[in-house]
Amino acid sequence: MSTTPIILADGVTKRFGTNQVLTRVSLPVMERDVVCVVGPSGSGKTTLLRCFALLELPSEGRILMEGTPISTAQPDREIKAAARAVRSEIGMVFQHFNLWPHMSVLENLIEAPLRVKKMPKDQAIAMAEKLLAKVDLSDKRDAYPARLSGGQQQRVAIARALAMSPKVLLFDEATSALDPELRREVLIVMRQLALEGMTMLVVTHEMGFARHVGTRTVFMDRGEIVEEAPGAAFFDAPKTERAKRFLQQFEDD
Amino acid sequence: MFKYQFRWDTVWGSFDFLMSGLQMTLIVSAITLVLAMVGGLIIALLDMSRFRALRWIGVSIGEVVRNTPILVQLLWVYYVLPIVFGIRIEALVALIIGLALYQAAFISEVYRSGIQSVPKGHVEAAQVLGLSPLQSFRRIVLPQAIKMTLPPLASNFVQLIKFSSLGAVISVSEITRRGMELSATNFRPLETFTFIAVVYFLICWPLAMGIRFWERRLQNR
Repeated sequence: MSTTPIILADGVTKRFGTNQVLTRVSLPVMERDVVCVVGPSGSGKTTLLRCFALLELPSEGRILMEGTPISTAQPDREIKAAARAVRSEIGMVFQHFNLWPHMSVLENLIEAPLRVKKMPKDQAIAMAEKLLAKVDLSDKRDAYPARLSGGQQQRVAIARALAMSPKVLLFDEATSALDPELRREVLIVMRQLALEGMTMLVVTHEMGFARHVGTRTVFMDRGEIVEEAPGAAFFDAPKTERAKRFLQQFEDD
Repeated sequence: MFKYQFRWDTVWGSFDFLMSGLQMTLIVSAITLVLAMVGGLIIALLDMSRFRALRWIGVSIGEVVRNTPILVQLLWVYYVLPIVFGIRIEALVALIIGLALYQAAFISEVYRSGIQSVPKGHVEAAQVLGLSPLQSFRRIVLPQAIKMTLPPLASNFVQLIKFSSLGAVISVSEITRRGMELSATNFRPLETFTFIAVVYFLICWPLAMGIRFWERRLQNR
């Protein structure tokens, strides 16, 4: 296995005005890693993920994809070209699904393959149908997003991200907007992806998922990575006081 | 007042005359709407331009037009433009230009709010999947924005039908002008202008109701 991370944050600092949200965060994500980022709200988890997704530019530091810089504070022409080239290899699943409401489920799935990859339509449809079967939504092929439950919408959103065959999939609190009974169906899909070897970076409040599915847990607080440990080790033996206090909230779960 | 002897026959006798005015009213309103939609798009694009000078032009046009009376604008177009450019402008052309400019300033706002009604997350999803900004605008933003702008555009059409009556001042022979001409010969302003008001109402009211129904359906989607 290659030792170059699929995607890497290298000393990323992010400020919004005078508000510093991330402070020199470095985080490599290796192939087949399932990195779970946990921490209190406002700790910078989502901002970090958005930097990886190229939705935010870091104020300092870099994002690298397989060793190539794709984002810096002031990206030059070369970095911008590199970013365009790998853009669709970084998939993202949003908290609020962000399906396009004027398109059917199938149209949501084939849009990017058709327009970005210039895939022939019949091929795109065949692939989309396979992905819908994978997330157990074949019967919703021609439905519009507004007709689906939140859990179904999120599974469509995952399928849409997979349609571009990304090398890494970013999850931004993918279950936070869902009712508890709908979370499970999304978590099952996420676990299935992890078992299949998908490289994933998961910002989450689902401690069960982080513990049992994640290969590494990263604990963030106040814009910094405070602690990092493989899978369950973080939960069984947190090293820092801050992590212990954070985990206490979940003891009743 | 209530001893007044209505003479509606004076109106019926000139029905065709008034209806030709109505035809003019509707033609002027339709042409103006099309021009105003194009003009509104240009102003909206200027407003959202990356270049400061262009933004400044767009904003200035909007502010001037929205903060001066439409009648003055019409008179200005009709009397001032010919002096500036040394050409004679037909009253009809002046009316269409004046109304279109006025309405364009409002329609540009309609476009802008239509575009802003599309959640940012929809655009981010497109961005993450690799769609270019142009693709994202054409495929994700525009189809959703257009749906939101159609009812306000229809409302603008209703407004234009009413505003086109200002053409009477610069002697465009739309229905209000025809009414003025008729009442000057039949000396029956009460019947004449009542009839004209009813005509406007019968056209504008159903349109307005239809639009309200349409908007409610869009909201409940």
